[in-house]
Amino acid sequence: MTVHNILIVDDSPISRKILRACLPRERTFAVTEAGDGRTGLQLFRDRPPDLTFLDLTMPRMAGLECLAEMKALEPRAVVVVVTADVQARSLSRALELGAAEVLRKPPTREAVAAVLARVEAPPGGPDASR
Amino acid sequence: MPAADAAGLTLGDLDILQELLNIAFGTASAELAARLDHRVVLSVPDVQVIPSVLLRYYVGAELKEQRAISVVEQEFGGDFHGSAFLVLPASATASLLALLPAGPERPAAERARAALAEAGKILIGTCLARLAELLGTAVTCGPQAVTVEAQRGAAVRPDLFGTGNPAVVLRTAFNFGHADVPGYLFLASSDAAMRWLRPALHRFMTQYE
Repeated sequence: MTVHNILIVDDSPISRKILRACLPRERTFAVTEAGDGRTGLQLFRDRPPDLTFLDLTMPRMAGLECLAEMKALEPRAVVVVVTADVQARSLSRALELGAAEVLRKPPTREAVAAVLARVEAPPGGPDASR
Repeated sequence: MPAADAAGLTLGDLDILQELLNIAFGTASAELAARLDHRVVLSVPDVQVIPSVLLRYYVGAELKEQRAISVVEQEFGGDFHGSAFLVLPASATASLLALLPAGPERPAAERARAALAEAGKILIGTCLARLAELLGTAVTCGPQAVTVEAQRGAAVRPDLFGTGNPAVVLRTAFNFGHADVPGYLFLASSDAAMRWLRPALHRFMTQYE
C-alpha cells in the first residue's frame, strides 16, 4: 500500500503542525485535519484515509472512543495513535482497540518515516512481493 | 492589557506552551499512574497566563464548589524559574491515600501530608523536568511546602513575586477511577523567566520548520 491520503485528528494546532512537518518532504500527501474526535470520525467516514494519526486526549469524543468507532467502520483502517498520555495502560488499550502503532509526542521525522515504511511494507515482509 | 500580552506572549506562543505543558503533564501523569498502579484519566488541559496577583482569586473561583483544598508548593530554578503550585480539592487526598501503597502506621494527618508530598513530587517534578527538556534547558527543584485542607483563599501567597508578574496556569482534571478530581498546576514566574520563555518556545518549533 502507498500512503497518500492522511487524516490528522488532534485538538492542538501545534501538534498538527508538528506532524505535518514530520512527513517526508520528498513526497506529496493529501492531508486532512480535524480538531476533535467527532469531526475526525466524520472526515474518516466521508473520505476514508490511507493512514490516520489520532490523538487520545481530545474534546468532543476522546481518542480511544474515536479509534474504536473507526475500527468498527473499517477494521483494516491503519490508525496510528500519537499521544502525550504515555501511561502503559493507555498505550496498551490503544493497541487492544486496533491501533497499528503508538507514537509519543512530540513525534520525530525519523519516527514518522519509520511508521510509513512499516505501513507501506507488503504483508509478510519486504520479500513477500517478489 | 492581558497578562499574556504583558509577558510578551502571542496567541501562537500560548499554543506552543499549551502543547509542551500537555506533553510534560502527560509524562508526569504516567509516572503517577505507575506509582498508583492505576490509570489516571486526563482531561484536555487549558493553559492561560494571568497576573500572579490574581492567582488566589482564580483558584477561589475555579474551586468554589470545594470547601477546602490541599496545596503542594515548590520553588524551581533555572532559565525558567519560579514557584509551582499543585492545587487539589481536599477530597483528592482520600483518593490518593486509597490508591497509594500503605506505609507505616502514622496519624491520618501525617499520611495525608505524605501522600500529597509524593503526588506533588511526581506531578510537579516530572512535569518541570520534561518541560525543561523540551525547551532545551534544565531545572532544579527546591524543597516542598505541603498544606493539607486549607481554606480556598490560602492556596497562593499574596506576596508571590511582584504584583504584576505573570503566572502560567495549567488547568486539568484527573480521574483516579472514582469521580473526576479537578487539579490545577500553577507556574508563577518572574518577568525575566517569561522573557526567556518566548525565544525558547520559538527554538523548539524551529526543528519542525
